Amino acid sequence: MTSQPLILGIETSCDETGVGLVRGTTMLANAVASSVDEHARFGGVVPEVASRAHLEAMTPTLHRALDEAGVGLEDVDAIAVTAGPGLAGALMVGVSAAKALAIAVDKPLYGVNHLVGHVAAEQLENGALTEPVVALLVSGGHTELLEVSDVASAAKLLGGTIDDAAGEAFDKIARLIGLPYPGGPHIQKAAADGDPSSIRFPRGLTSERDMTRHRYDFSFSGLKTAVARWVETAERDGVPVPVADVAAAFQESVADVLTRKAVLACQERDIGTMVLAGGVAANARVRDLARERCAEAGIELRQPRLSLCTDNGAMIAALGAAVVEQNLEPSAPDFATDSSLPVTQVLV
Amino acid sequence: MIELDVPDAARMHALGERLATLLCAGDLLLLGGDLGAGKTTLTQGIGAGLGVRGPVTSPTFVLARTHPSLVGGAPLVHVDAYRLGGWDELEDIDVDATLDESVTVVEWGEGLAEGLAGERLEIHIDRSVGPAADAVDLRHVAVTGIGSRWDEDQLRRTLSV
Repeated sequence: MTSQPLILGIETSCDETGVGLVRGTTMLANAVASSVDEHARFGGVVPEVASRAHLEAMTPTLHRALDEAGVGLEDVDAIAVTAGPGLAGALMVGVSAAKALAIAVDKPLYGVNHLVGHVAAEQLENGALTEPVVALLVSGGHTELLEVSDVASAAKLLGGTIDDAAGEAFDKIARLIGLPYPGGPHIQKAAADGDPSSIRFPRGLTSERDMTRHRYDFSFSGLKTAVARWVETAERDGVPVPVADVAAAFQESVADVLTRKAVLACQERDIGTMVLAGGVAANARVRDLARERCAEAGIELRQPRLSLCTDNGAMIAALGAAVVEQNLEPSAPDFATDSSLPVTQVLV
Repeated sequence: MIELDVPDAARMHALGERLATLLCAGDLLLLGGDLGAGKTTLTQGIGAGLGVRGPVTSPTFVLARTHPSLVGGAPLVHVDAYRLGGWDELEDIDVDATLDESVTVVEWGEGLAEGLAGERLEIHIDRSVGPAADAVDLRHVAVTGIGSRWDEDQLRRTLSV
């Protein structure tokens, strides 16, 4: 086991500063400086997302990861860092830190794709992915359906949201019905007492016409507008808004479309494994419906624990480990961040 | 001010494409309007018109996304101020650093991002409140050019169908 190289992974694509250490598919450390508690105070406002916050968190998070793994910087064999997609200024901090470290310890540096990192994270949970998978990535910033034949080198985008990300829809609907930030957990909690069939909200991009053009794409903008209109109508009529029912019906619409299209992709592409990742994968309804539908369709569902679902450094180290294992060329020393890096580009 | 009625998402997209023909590096657009008004749809049209690498989707979570040009033109910087609390936070995400060489579109920028540039295009989209009255889900779009950069007649000619 110890013969496998030690990979340091750095993630700063959004508001989590993550540093992880991985050997092969074994996680040794996963330190994350999160600011979600801070966000809650501001009701979803994010002053901490500034590059400055990453800058302040970087060194302490790196030390925490090294301590957790019981290794020194000199033990690291290679460094992987998120090159994109993400917020440009935030990515810059991680990439600059990684470049400086790589020069300091004279080790190769790999700029990797954040989205594929989410899929690689599953390797830390249940071992190497040896067969092609369909990955459903759902978070505040992402809603994508990927086909990954090889995490290190072959990923393609089957579809994605054409407007809002699923997690973003949760946050916006939560604000609309007076629930706090972050929207996901609060909507799930409220929905537990609601009837998902009490209101039929639209299922984005599932009509026959949309299934031709946007077979594996998602849309949550129309759902968001439908919920807004429904709530506005109740308010106009002086009817109290049934928050639990609205939350349950909204959550059902999101979970239904996500899992339906992901299962369809597995079936149509003859793929037997689905990986569910990203922060929204923590939603119980999404998880339950995915489990139920995968079981019915005979698809194996793989899902990492929550701390590996949300943004973290270990997932980037896991992807780095896969890239190193295939002896791929390190990134050029002057590689740049790419805030809209396409998923097909696993390594920059 | 130029006022337009836009009956559906496809025509909102087309409006963005027409608007893009007038845009060049250094231009700043502020988009306002309620949840579900069509700000992202309009920006998708602008992105298509500029010929930038997509997909252009809501940047609420990531705050800002840069779409490089596929046709040798200016990149599109798509900013979302929905989660931002004030001018300081807008400054923190360094939008001003890329203003000169990009077309910058700021969603939810009304009352916040005006200070980025003296010359700018302000676009406000209204949708009717409550249930959609019928099959037509009309949006009212108001376009105001601030500064000598914008020629109202040219805007009107380009944006009207």
